[in-house]
Amino acid sequence: MIEFRGIMKAFGPKQVLKGVDLSIPDGEVFFLIGSSGAGKSVLIKHLIGLLKPDAGQIILDGDDVSKLEGAALYRVRKVCAMVFQHATLFDSMTCAENVALPLRKHHNLSARDALAEAQKRLVQVQMGEFAEKYPGELGDGMRKRVAIARALTVDPRYVLFDEPTTSLDPVSARRVDKLIRHLSDTLGVTSIVVSHDLASIFSIADRIAMLYQGNLRMVGTPEEFRNSSDGVVSQFIHGRAEGPMEV
Amino acid sequence: MSQASEREGLSAETGRAILDLAAEVGGVAMLAGRLLRRLAPPRLDGPELARNLHRMGVKSLPIVGVTALFTGGIMVIQAGVLIRRFGAEGLLGWGAGFATLREVGPILIALMFSGRVGANNTAELGTMTVTEQIAALETLAIDPLSYLILPRCIAMVVMLFMLTVYGDVLALAGSALMGQALLGVSVATFFNGFLETIRVWDLATGLIKSVLYGVIIALSSCHFGLTVTGGAPGVGRAVNTSVVASATGIFVTDYFSTYLLG
Repeated sequence: MIEFRGIMKAFGPKQVLKGVDLSIPDGEVFFLIGSSGAGKSVLIKHLIGLLKPDAGQIILDGDDVSKLEGAALYRVRKVCAMVFQHATLFDSMTCAENVALPLRKHHNLSARDALAEAQKRLVQVQMGEFAEKYPGELGDGMRKRVAIARALTVDPRYVLFDEPTTSLDPVSARRVDKLIRHLSDTLGVTSIVVSHDLASIFSIADRIAMLYQGNLRMVGTPEEFRNSSDGVVSQFIHGRAEGPMEV
Repeated sequence: MSQASEREGLSAETGRAILDLAAEVGGVAMLAGRLLRRLAPPRLDGPELARNLHRMGVKSLPIVGVTALFTGGIMVIQAGVLIRRFGAEGLLGWGAGFATLREVGPILIALMFSGRVGANNTAELGTMTVTEQIAALETLAIDPLSYLILPRCIAMVVMLFMLTVYGDVLALAGSALMGQALLGVSVATFFNGFLETIRVWDLATGLIKSVLYGVIIALSSCHFGLTVTGGAPGVGRAVNTSVVASATGIFVTDYFSTYLLG
């Protein structure tokens, strides 16, 4: 169970989050939507301690993440993994080495055993045949899948996805969606997905929250969002240029 | 603009520059402290250390070798006029050895090392920082300082020390060969003069300096790489600042270490 309680965060004079309260039960595929700069990525980075809130609490399995430092924070990161928007694979390593690194560090595997295990993990995301390729040799969708395989090496119960389908072609995007849904259905992983991709949102989300001007505008199921009479929500999910949303 | 406001502007800029310098020196000192804490007990990634020792040290052998050989030769060319005028061929080994081991060898090799390894290190860490690869390490519950930074710092210090030994030998060889070719001083005469006059302390002084220079290059290149902001232009600025800071640190340290070590 993840709970954000009254999260406030400012960068200089800009107040990005103005007191966000949100609960995410285990096992959900939960989408966080909103216009660019609404603070979606900022909010999820608080959950793994990459950012500290100016006020508020982030409760993960009973612990306040905002108070944790050092080794305690690393324990949280073994439970809650993150896949960044640009995959952030290590350029100097092959795909297999990228996936093997956390296996070697956290599972006490030798370099050879870690590489063998990495190969198996890559097969699970349909990237087995690209194990010896470097990230620069792969397309965006492939890199994302390797990044997902790498994030799963810590056997997390929560995975944060920051715009996982942005810049992907529709086929690659749907493959990533399928993988996210599969994690939840088969492994019980809770996925928090920051996205603008309406096709993703309405095909795999259990619930959705919309951030607008630093506050939560609406939390609900895809169906509730579709039928929302809120002008801002309706404009966003129907992708209309005209409407009450402020730029 | 009035003289008073000009003075005020100058004071403000000087103050800002001093504060910026203090912030960077403080940042380097904090990085050193955080790395030292990870040495007791050692939390170091073995494979990463081995990889850095190879790419920072072994791959620097050609450039350091060429620099050292030519440096030895240049010293003989410069000293040649005086050696001939005073017929002091027997002093060539002493002069070349003293200058090479204590001063010229360590400082030139450190500057080459800073340009090749330090600049590369800042660029690589800077790129990893702006592309969130360092943040990705954090999210994988891997401490970037233990995994990424400490092996690089240790590799730089160890390899600069070893390259200085290697460079000293080649610089002396270059001096001896050039002495014979240019001044007709035999290699035997050169090394007799060298062995009779050079003390172990002369060699040790240069090697102590090389360790200090290695620490400066390591901390400076890592600090500026990890604190990059502003995308690709930021990486370029960081590399530039890192090389300038390393060179300045090397010369300042050389001054004080020469004074203290005698």
